[in-house]
Amino acid sequence: MRFRIYVAVSLAGCLALPLCLRAQFQEPTKEELQMTSDPKAPGAAAVYLYREEKTDDNLHYHSYYERIKVLTEKGKEAATIRIPYEHGVFHVTDIQGRTIHPDGTVVPLTAKPSDLMDVKTKDQQYNSMVFTLPSVEEGSILEYRLQIRYDDKWISSPYWEVQRKYFVHKAHYFFEPSRFADNLLYAYNLPEGAKLIKDSTGRFSYDAIDVPAVADEPWMPPLNSIIYRIEFYYENFHDGQQFWTEEGKNWAKTAEHFSTPGKAIKEAVAGLVAPGDTDEVKARKLYDAVQKLDNTDFTREKSASERKQEKIKQIKNAEDVWVQKSGSSDDMALLYVALARAAGLDAVPMEVVDRNRAIFDSSFLQLRQLDDYIAVVKIGGKDVFLDPGQKMCTFGILHWKHTLAGGLRPAPKGAILAVTPGNTYVQNQVQRVADLTLAPDGSVTGILRFVMGGQEALRWRQTAIRNDDDEVKKRFNEWVRGQVPDGVQVDFDHFLALGDYNSNLIGNMKVSGNLGTATGKRVFLPGQFFESHGKHPFVAEDKREIAVDVHYPERLADDVTYRLPDGFSVESSPQKATIPWPSNAQLIVASKADKNTVEIGRALAYNFTLLEAKDYASLHDFYQKVAASDQQPVVLLRAPAKATGN
Amino acid sequence: MRKWGATAACVVTVAIAGAMAAGTAGASWFNKGQPVPDWGMQAYKTHTPDYVKDASAVILFDEYVETVDASGRATEREREAIRILKPQGRGNTCEVSYDETEKVNYFRAWTIAPDEKTYQAQDTDFTEEGDTNVPIMLSTRKYRIAHPPAADVGATIICESEEQMEPYLQEKNWQIQIGIPIVFQALEVDLPPGRTLVDSWHRQDPVKPVQSGPSVWRWEIKDEPALELRDIPSAPGRGALEARMTVQWGSAAVSGKDKQWQAIGEWVTQLEAGRPDPSPEITARVQQLTAGAPDYFTKLQRITESIQKDIRYFIVMRGIGGLQANHAADIFRNRYGDCKDKATLLISMLKAAGIQAVYVPVDDHRGVVDPDNPSLLGNHMIAAIEIPADANDPRLQAVVKGNDGKRWLIFDPTNEHTPVGNLPSYEQGSWGILAAGPASQVIQLPVLPPADNGTVQSGAFTLAADGTLTGDVDASHSGPDAADVRLILKYTDEKERREYWETEIAHDLPGVALKSFQFVQAPALDKPLEFKYQFTAGQYAHTAGPLLLVRPRVVGSFALPFDNKPRTLPIDLGATGDWKDSYDIALPAGYVVDDAPDPVDVDVEFASYHSKVASKGNMLHYEREYVVKQVQIPAEKADQFRKLEGAILMDEKGTAVLKKQ
Repeated sequence: MRFRIYVAVSLAGCLALPLCLRAQFQEPTKEELQMTSDPKAPGAAAVYLYREEKTDDNLHYHSYYERIKVLTEKGKEAATIRIPYEHGVFHVTDIQGRTIHPDGTVVPLTAKPSDLMDVKTKDQQYNSMVFTLPSVEEGSILEYRLQIRYDDKWISSPYWEVQRKYFVHKAHYFFEPSRFADNLLYAYNLPEGAKLIKDSTGRFSYDAIDVPAVADEPWMPPLNSIIYRIEFYYENFHDGQQFWTEEGKNWAKTAEHFSTPGKAIKEAVAGLVAPGDTDEVKARKLYDAVQKLDNTDFTREKSASERKQEKIKQIKNAEDVWVQKSGSSDDMALLYVALARAAGLDAVPMEVVDRNRAIFDSSFLQLRQLDDYIAVVKIGGKDVFLDPGQKMCTFGILHWKHTLAGGLRPAPKGAILAVTPGNTYVQNQVQRVADLTLAPDGSVTGILRFVMGGQEALRWRQTAIRNDDDEVKKRFNEWVRGQVPDGVQVDFDHFLALGDYNSNLIGNMKVSGNLGTATGKRVFLPGQFFESHGKHPFVAEDKREIAVDVHYPERLADDVTYRLPDGFSVESSPQKATIPWPSNAQLIVASKADKNTVEIGRALAYNFTLLEAKDYASLHDFYQKVAASDQQPVVLLRAPAKATGN
Repeated sequence: MRKWGATAACVVTVAIAGAMAAGTAGASWFNKGQPVPDWGMQAYKTHTPDYVKDASAVILFDEYVETVDASGRATEREREAIRILKPQGRGNTCEVSYDETEKVNYFRAWTIAPDEKTYQAQDTDFTEEGDTNVPIMLSTRKYRIAHPPAADVGATIICESEEQMEPYLQEKNWQIQIGIPIVFQALEVDLPPGRTLVDSWHRQDPVKPVQSGPSVWRWEIKDEPALELRDIPSAPGRGALEARMTVQWGSAAVSGKDKQWQAIGEWVTQLEAGRPDPSPEITARVQQLTAGAPDYFTKLQRITESIQKDIRYFIVMRGIGGLQANHAADIFRNRYGDCKDKATLLISMLKAAGIQAVYVPVDDHRGVVDPDNPSLLGNHMIAAIEIPADANDPRLQAVVKGNDGKRWLIFDPTNEHTPVGNLPSYEQGSWGILAAGPASQVIQLPVLPPADNGTVQSGAFTLAADGTLTGDVDASHSGPDAADVRLILKYTDEKERREYWETEIAHDLPGVALKSFQFVQAPALDKPLEFKYQFTAGQYAHTAGPLLLVRPRVVGSFALPFDNKPRTLPIDLGATGDWKDSYDIALPAGYVVDDAPDPVDVDVEFASYHSKVASKGNMLHYEREYVVKQVQIPAEKADQFRKLEGAILMDEKGTAVLKKQ
C-alpha cells in the first residue's frame, strides 16, 4: 500500500540541473582567458566562473546559464551537457552555446541538440536533451544557456543545487513564485551566514560566492542530504509546526485506518497467540507469523495486469494483506501493528526515512521524504522497535537503514516527530574462526567458521531470499575469499540457521592452499589470518571533509589456531596488545603458543555509527594502528635437517 | 533477443543475436488478448534437462527467422521460451533493441505459470529504455523490455517479436552460447530466389543446415551449455569465448573466407568513402604540423599526437552512425568524436601529408574477431598506415604485412597515450579487417616484444629500529604501461590522484603516508613517464622477540589470479612486457640479516621470473625481473602458469629476518 502525498504539480525533482537566460553571452576577461589553474580550487579539472538559475512560475520557465572554465584534460568532459526532463510536460528550448579558446577565438554551438529517451512507460516518459560544446581544449571557457518551459496548466518550483561537481566562483539564483499558489515553502542547507533573500513582492534570490565542489569520499552519509541546496515547494501550510501537526494527523489517520484490526485479523490472532502468553511471547509469535508471509519487496510484486487477471483486489488495509498472505514491506509492518493490537499489545506504526537514501529533515515539509514503515511495540513498559517489513530481520533489531532514522509516529493528537534508536556493537557481531593444519611444505588445510549476528546475518539471509542456495554459497565463498590470504582457497561447506532469523547464522568452509613463506631456517605465517589483505578503511586518507557514516556499529572477533607439523617450533607470535580509542573503538590482540599450536585472538569493536569530520584524525590514527598491528606475523623455526651418513 | 554486451569501448557496433528494431511505440505492437501461441505451448512442454540444474534460468526454445527482401534487408522474427529456475533467474526476460532505421512490427509476451495458468503481458508490462547510461555517448538506440506477469520460479516466459532490421546490414550474427543454457535453438534464413548465403562458426563445430526450399536454410542446435566464467581466473573476454555463427547473404556471401573478408572490407571502404577527405583547414593544419619534419616517423608522430591530444573522445551513435564516421571536416571543427571519427581524421590528415592509411575494424577484446568467422562483428575502429619501403625506423614496431607484401603500421588513435609505433596491449594478438578496398583482408594485430612495454622501479629506503620505513621510489613506465598511467592522470584531478596512489600503495604498505609525489611527463608519448614518490610507513617491519622481520619486496605486485582447478579455457596474460624492481633498504644500526628468502628462478615458454635478496653491510638489497612474452596461452599450459604465479606470490610475500648483533 502507498499513501504518500505527492504535490502533483511540483516537478522540481526532475530539474536537478543548470539554469538561466541572459540577453547576451558574457565577454570573458583577460584573466579568465589566461587562467590555467585556480588557487581557490587547487588541482580542479574545471570551475564554474558563473552560474545562474532563474524560474518564473508565472511565465512558466526555468532558465539556465553557465560559464565553465576547463583547466585540465579531465575538465573537457564538462563540454557535454545533459538536461533530463519529463517529456510531455516540459520542453527544453532556446539552447545556445559557445566555446571560447584561451586566445579569445569563439566557436559557436551549431550541432543540433539530441533529444534522447531515458525511460518510458505507458504513462510517463523521461528524456534527456544532450549537446556537446565544440572544440573544447584545456583553458577553454564553455558557455551555454537554455530554457525549460512548461504549459500554463502547470506550476513548477525550483530545486537549486548550490553545491556542484566543480567549484563555483559566483552564482545567482532567482525565483518568482506562481501567483496562483498560496503558500510557498522552502528547505535549505547553506553555508553559515548565507542568506536567501525574499523581496517585498515575494520573489526569492540567492547569491553564492566561492562554493566548494561536492566532496566524494568513502563512507559518506547520503550525499543528497549534505550538499548545499535550496528546495522550494508549494504546500497548503504556513510553517513547520502547522505542517507536522496537520499532516501528522492525516498521516496518523491513514496509518491507523490501515492497521486497525478487523474481524479476520482478530480471528487470526486468536489462533496465533495463547491467552497466557506474555506480551513478549505474543509479540514474537505475531512477528514470526508476519515473517512467514510473502513480502513482495523480496520476491516479486504482482503487476496491475496480473492482479486484474487473478482478480486480486488492491490492498487497502491490514486485513487484505493477511487474507492475501502477501504484500510489500510497508504492508507487513502495518499488518504487524494490526495483529499486535488485536492481541492486546500497545503497538504503533512509525514511518521513517531510509538512512541509506537520505537523512530526515524536519524543516523539509514533505511527507515524501519518509520511506518505510516499522512497528513500535510496548513490552515491559519499554518501546521495542521492530522491522517486520524486513524479511529475516531478527526480532528486536532494525535493519541499519532504519536505525537513527527520523520519522513520524502516532501521538494522542495526531503524530509526532521521532527518531529510532541506533544499534550497538553487541547486536552486530561477527566471529571468524580458523583451525588450520600446516604441512612441512607450507601448505595448509583446515576449516573456517563464521558466526554472524545482527546486520551481517540479515544481509546474508536477505541474499538467500533473492537467490537460491547455490548462489548464496558462491557469493559467501567470494566474500570469505576476500578475507583470507592470497594462495588460500576456500570451499564453502554449509550454512547453519540460514532460515532462523532469531539465531546466529553460521557458515562453515574448508580451506586449502599455500599459506606460509619460508627462508632457510624459518617459516612465516600471517599473524592475523583474516586481515592479511590489510583492507582497512580510513587508513590511506589522512584528511576528511565530510562526516563518516559506517552504517552500524559492529564487533569482529577472530580466533585462529595454527597446528604445526613436527620439527617446527614457534619463535614468535603476535604480541598481546590493546589499542583503545576511548568511547569509540578498541582492538585487542592476544596469542598463545605451545609445542604444536599457535592460537591468535583478535577483537575489533567500534561503537559509533556517525562521526563528524572533525573527529576523523582520531579515526585515522586508530585504524592506522590497527592496520599496522594486523601485519604482525607468526614466526616458526624449522628444525635443522638431520645429518645423514656415517 | 539476447543483447550483445554493451560496451563503451567505441562505436562500431554490429549487433549480435537479437538486436531487433522498432519505430515509435504504438498501441498495437503488443497485441492485446492473444492466447499463448501453439509454438509457445509446445516449448513449454519441454522438460527441463538435468544438465541445467545449476543455471538460474534456461532457454527452452529460441528461433530466429530472417526473411530477406529483394534489397537484402531482413525482417527478423524471434520466438523464445525461457524457464525461470531460481529466484535470481527472474531477470531473464525478453527485450528488443532498435534504432532509427529499424522498426518493431510487434512484440508479445506471455507467462505460463507453474500451475499452468497463462498470462499475457499488457502495455503496462513493457518499458522502454534509452541507451543513455554512458555519459560520453550520444546514442539513439532504444530497448523495449517485457516485464511479463507472474514471472516466478518455475514459470515459463514466452516471447515473440518481429522487427525490420537495418537496411544496410546483410549479415546475421547468431549467438549460440550465453550465460544460461539453451535446450533448442534454430536460425532460419529465407532469401529471395536466386540469392545464396554462406555460414561460418566461432568456437562451435559447424552444423549443416536443412534446406526446406530453394532459398530457405535452417540450422538447429540442441543442448548448448552456458558459458560460466565466474570462477575462472585470468580468462579471456566472454565475447571471445561464446559460440556463435554468422550468415552472410550480401556481397560477402562468397566462397572462401579470404574472399568473404575481402568483401566485408570493401563494404567498409565503401561505407566510409569520402569521409576522410581533407578540408582546407585540415590540410593547413597538417602543413603546419609537418613543416620541417625530417622523416616519415616524425611526420607520423606529429599528426598522431595532435589527434590523440586535441580530439576529445565522445561517442555518437545514430542509426548508421553506429558504423559510419562523420566527415573529417566536421570532426576537425568540433574537436570531438568516437573511434571511427578519430580514425577518419587520422586517415584524412595522413592523406593531406601524402601518407596512405585505411580503416581497421576490430574489437577491443582479444579473440572476438575470429579469422574463421568473417563478419562485421566488433566494437572498435583503428587504422593501418602504409609504411613506405624506405621507412625503417626501429620505433615502427606494430607492423603487419599484408598478403600483397605491403607493410602496415597498426595504430589506435582512440587510445590517447599509446605512441605511434606501439599498440595497446589489449589489442595485441587480436584480429581486424584491413579495409583497403579490393586489397581488403583479415589481419592479425602484432604481439609486441617485451621490450616495448614495462616499468623499471627502484627504491631507496631506510628502516628504523621501531619498524618505520621511509624512502623514495622512482618508477619509469614505458609503452602501454605508460599509457595506462597517463590515462589515470588525464581522468583524475590532483586530489583524486593523491587518493588513488595512496590507496594503491597502501595495498602493500598499510598505514602508509605519502609525503610527496610527482609525475614527469615528456611531451612525446614514446618517452617514458616518470613517477617519483616519497613515503613513510609505520611498523613496516615487525618485532618478533629479538628479531625484526621485513619484507624485501616493498611495493608492487605482478601476481595474476590463479587456482588449482582443471583448466579448459585459454589463459589471458594481459600484456607482454618487462618489469624490473630494485630496492635497497638501509637497516637500523646494529641489525644484520640473519635469514632471507631463497632466490626464485622460473623460466617457462611464455614468461620468466627471477628474484633474489642479498645483504651487504647494513643494506638489504632486493631485485627481480618479470618478463612476459605472450599475451595468451592455451589451457594446456595451466600447470606452467600455476608454477609461475605460485612462485611470484610466494616471493612477493617473502620475509627477511634481521637480528641485532
